[in-house]
Amino acid sequence: MIYGAWICLLSPLAAAGLITLGGQRLTRRAAGYLATLSCFVAFGGALATFIGLLGRDGSQRQVVSTAWLWLTAGSYRSGLEVLIDPLSVFMMLVVAGVGALIVAYSIGYMDGDIEERRYFAYMSLFVFSMLLLVQGGNLLLLLAGWGMVGLSSYLLIGFWHDRPSAIAAAKKAFVMNAIGDATMALAFFLLIKKGNSLEFGILGGQYSSTVANLVALGLLGGAVAKSAQLPLQTWLPDAMEGPTPVSALIHAATMVTAGVYLLVRTHAIFEQAPKIADLAAGLGAATLLLAGLIALVQVDIKRVIAYSTMSQIGYMFLGAGLGAFFKALLFMAAGIVIHALAAEQDMRKMGGLRMLMPRTYWAFLIGALALVGIPPFAGFFSKDSILAAAMDHGAYGYVLWVVGLAGTFLTGLYTFRMFFLVFWGEPSAFVREHFHALRRDVVGVSMASTVGVLAVLSVIGGWLQFAPIWHPVETWLQTVAEPVVSPTNWQEAISSALAFVLGLAGITVAWLVYGARRVAVPRFASAQRTLERKFSSTSCTTPSSTRPRSS
Amino acid sequence: MSGPGVAWYLSVAAFLFGTGSLGVLLRRNPLIVLLSLEIMLNGANLALIGFARNFGDGSGQIFALAVMAVAASEVVVGLGLIVALNRKRVTLDVDRLNTLRG
Amino acid sequence: MIVASVGNVLVWAVWVVAAFACLGSGIAVVSFSNPFYSALALIGNLGALAVLYLLLSAEFVAAAQVLVYAGAVMVMFLFVIAYIGPHSESPWMGGPSWQAVGAVLAAGALLVEIIVVIGLKASGHLAHSERVGAAFGSPAEIGRLFLTDHLLAFEITSIVLLVAAIGGVILGGHSRRAAGEVPPL
Repeated sequence: MIYGAWICLLSPLAAAGLITLGGQRLTRRAAGYLATLSCFVAFGGALATFIGLLGRDGSQRQVVSTAWLWLTAGSYRSGLEVLIDPLSVFMMLVVAGVGALIVAYSIGYMDGDIEERRYFAYMSLFVFSMLLLVQGGNLLLLLAGWGMVGLSSYLLIGFWHDRPSAIAAAKKAFVMNAIGDATMALAFFLLIKKGNSLEFGILGGQYSSTVANLVALGLLGGAVAKSAQLPLQTWLPDAMEGPTPVSALIHAATMVTAGVYLLVRTHAIFEQAPKIADLAAGLGAATLLLAGLIALVQVDIKRVIAYSTMSQIGYMFLGAGLGAFFKALLFMAAGIVIHALAAEQDMRKMGGLRMLMPRTYWAFLIGALALVGIPPFAGFFSKDSILAAAMDHGAYGYVLWVVGLAGTFLTGLYTFRMFFLVFWGEPSAFVREHFHALRRDVVGVSMASTVGVLAVLSVIGGWLQFAPIWHPVETWLQTVAEPVVSPTNWQEAISSALAFVLGLAGITVAWLVYGARRVAVPRFASAQRTLERKFSSTSCTTPSSTRPRSS
Repeated sequence: MSGPGVAWYLSVAAFLFGTGSLGVLLRRNPLIVLLSLEIMLNGANLALIGFARNFGDGSGQIFALAVMAVAASEVVVGLGLIVALNRKRVTLDVDRLNTLRG
Repeated sequence: MIVASVGNVLVWAVWVVAAFACLGSGIAVVSFSNPFYSALALIGNLGALAVLYLLLSAEFVAAAQVLVYAGAVMVMFLFVIAYIGPHSESPWMGGPSWQAVGAVLAAGALLVEIIVVIGLKASGHLAHSERVGAAFGSPAEIGRLFLTDHLLAFEITSIVLLVAAIGGVILGGHSRRAAGEVPPL
């Protein structure tokens, strides 16, 4: 089991190193295969660890494996250690699994690109960084993984470095993430001073409320930056400049969920700082609403996906802030799969594709339904339980609950707006000129099969946990993160019903306006303009460090 | 030890570090920026050697030697970059060189 | 703290000269417009630092500083500066921009903070310095430490040097590809 965890961690790093050192001796396709193989090996390692952990009962499920004692300074000790516990194994499985699927998809997508080897080296580096983040046995290694994920993201967003827009987007992402890194580092300094260590256990120690609030605030800053929540959210839509699988892996799926993971892993300190936890929930709620509104007026599919990701992560922050940790995590797993699926549909300027790409049509439909939270697909069970947790939280919780429900309506609306615009109606001239059927060779197979697997997961993934009947995920994660709130079955039922109804309402409105074209597209010109500028006042939030000094 | 105590050396080191950082922040010629960076590294070295003497631990000197080696490596790469930039006839002005193509 | 004796006065005198040479040349590096003069000032800085290292019983490090740093690294700097040629930069014209003021304030704050820490907080810990034997700072001692306690650092440093050398060759080498062609990796 311990070997499994180390293999999981180190295999993508080995691939990155081999691809880099191999250089031109590897063919481009071979680099792709190597990267994919390493990610599947990592998934195998994660699976082995999972099975090993299943064999133990609850109290035994926390294993720390130390490679060596790395850092000693005075009385502070830090080791190169890997933590194997239910939460980290959960994340390992998701990251390695989805990562492997997306790297496999990339073989097809990036075929023919001259710099393919560099791409696969970077992707392997990213998967390694993300695994280091989730497997790190102390906060220092988590920070190391955190920083490296930011670096890999910069390298991948700016992959097509001939495009100035891509470079600018990469810089922006990196600088905003660096702000989060800085706040986290400050939180860690405080922890070292007060607790004299950066092990996960010290987060549970007794601190004065000022210290707890400051540490929680610093950690929240990092999570907000990494997960593109308000107010550090403007980097995510621009990050779609990278290749599509990059958007799928990093910005729809794994990297942005690192913030949620951090909140769950450090929940002990948030429990001591309830105001900051409420702030987290509030930021999540605000983001989910804002992002949903902006997604309504976007024309580029990848931007819609970006804002959809932002909105769904808002739900996760809402859940984590309220204490419903495993629900947030479940939703995160579902969201990862769904968004990876959606982001892989790289299409622009389309219409009428239903006839031309039937399998893609069905895959996209499944993904969209899952996103909106229609049963029996993946999103339903998790999203609604987050809303139920909000009901349990007092008056502030009810406000959040209303916002969450409004978000469900918006989700239905923008998702199906995108769906109808892309797939229904007559094929546009552009499509007729440029469309070509999916090839039958490796390229086509790699792309089609991975999309298929993700679609299947979107369907069945939701059944991992069906409250109130079975709770395997809850019991699995119980030792790690005790939920702070436990809504009654009634609250769950009401939330689920309302969310389902609102989701359907959103879908219906989208169908009326965009599908059946029964109702004219409403034109609220000034509102539309504001939303189109994304409330962004990007000049406001872009740190001045990304702009050149006047000479 | 006779003569100034380690606190005096540390003050000199701090001053060197501050001066170097001012150079890095204020100057536009990348060569001068590299030179200022060297001053910062030397300030750190002085602090290390001072502490090594103070605590009688040779590790500080080892660390300073490693810093020297790494500083040399960094200068090699930095100068290589500057020479490459010069060959492409790019203005050597760090304020203008902000595109950072990955 | 200041014990009056001939030996002590000599040490203090040397220290004062070396320290002020250090500080003065540091300011000079940052202030000159011509990078050539800045590099020469840095050589002076390195020499003054070597004297300070000698006062701190670090003979090997002082020798390495003069040989490696002043002798090799700075010569490399001078070569490149001569190769690139004169580049006019008038850094101090036009008055201080708000960034310059900010930078000076930040550096000043850092300096004050360090001096406060040294003077007030740590003075207890720093007051007493260990007695060291004659072998302290000698090449034998450094060699022993490098090969026993700090072997990993030694090996990693040599790898870093190798990588830097390779990088330098690649960066400085003439491109054999046509301009505009994208390199393959």
